[in-house]
Amino acid sequence: MAPTLPSGDQASDQDNWDNGRLARKRQLLTEIVLRNRLTALVVDGDTTCRVLEQLLLRSYGVQTQGVDNGRDAVALIASGVKFNLIIIDMILPVLNGLEATRQIRDMGVHCKMLGVTACSGESERQAFLAAGVDVFIEKPLDPEHLVPILRELDGQ
Amino acid sequence: MDVVNQLQRQFIDYSASLHREGFLDDQFTQLQKLQDDNSPDFVVEVASLFFEDCEKLINNMARALEQQQGVDFKQVDASVHQLKGSSSSIGAMRVKDVCIAFRSFCEAQNREGCLRCLQQVTHEYSLLKNKLQTLFRLQQQILAAGGSIPVVE
Repeated sequence: MAPTLPSGDQASDQDNWDNGRLARKRQLLTEIVLRNRLTALVVDGDTTCRVLEQLLLRSYGVQTQGVDNGRDAVALIASGVKFNLIIIDMILPVLNGLEATRQIRDMGVHCKMLGVTACSGESERQAFLAAGVDVFIEKPLDPEHLVPILRELDGQ
Repeated sequence: MDVVNQLQRQFIDYSASLHREGFLDDQFTQLQKLQDDNSPDFVVEVASLFFEDCEKLINNMARALEQQQGVDFKQVDASVHQLKGSSSSIGAMRVKDVCIAFRSFCEAQNREGCLRCLQQVTHEYSLLKNKLQTLFRLQQQILAAGGSIPVVE
């Protein structure tokens, strides 16, 4: 059937079919592109920090999602969503970062976890590492700490 | 010297003074580098977010410290901790430094010390807000005159 021109506000069946195919093509392309991209979850109760960390990651081409409390982070992981990297703060609303980290690890999730926190004490560092983060970083999260980690993940 | 050059010179000098006086540190420079054509207002937007957060947190601290029946220092500390995190993330060095001192007073449950720090942090936050607004105004003027924002190392 030859494509017909759209008549006024009513989209024809042909238009819907063409639009559908275009949308599907776009979706496939996005999936292919994203398949090779790193994904990260940022867990921080503070809006400024969460936005900044997500923007920093995105500037390196990482696809990011953000949650503002520990319980939502655990729920998201439990629902089956996979990430290459999780950035998590220590002090979080609802469920704190230490407990959230433990629960995520208990689920058998082995991805790289960075504890990024304003806490600077040695005891806090030990506690966070013991809970299951791979690296402890005192805020701010900067390229100097982040880039080597991203390169390592990229290379896997 | 043409208008754009003059404005750019002003911008560079003002930026340098903010770093020299400790208002901003290298983290802020890093953020400015992240700004590009895809996100031209990124730094201004993030700064607005930060100031909103600041005001909320300062109010929380003030309310908690006002309690005559007994100050919940843990509550004060939680707000200071959050402010320390966000100020360090945006490069607000002087605000962050006050937070560090503030936390010691919270730990010591020293109400007077906390109140002094609250005053200091409020002062530093308003100073920074004014200075950044001036900086952003300069940026706007440069762009309006057809120039580009110089990167200050």
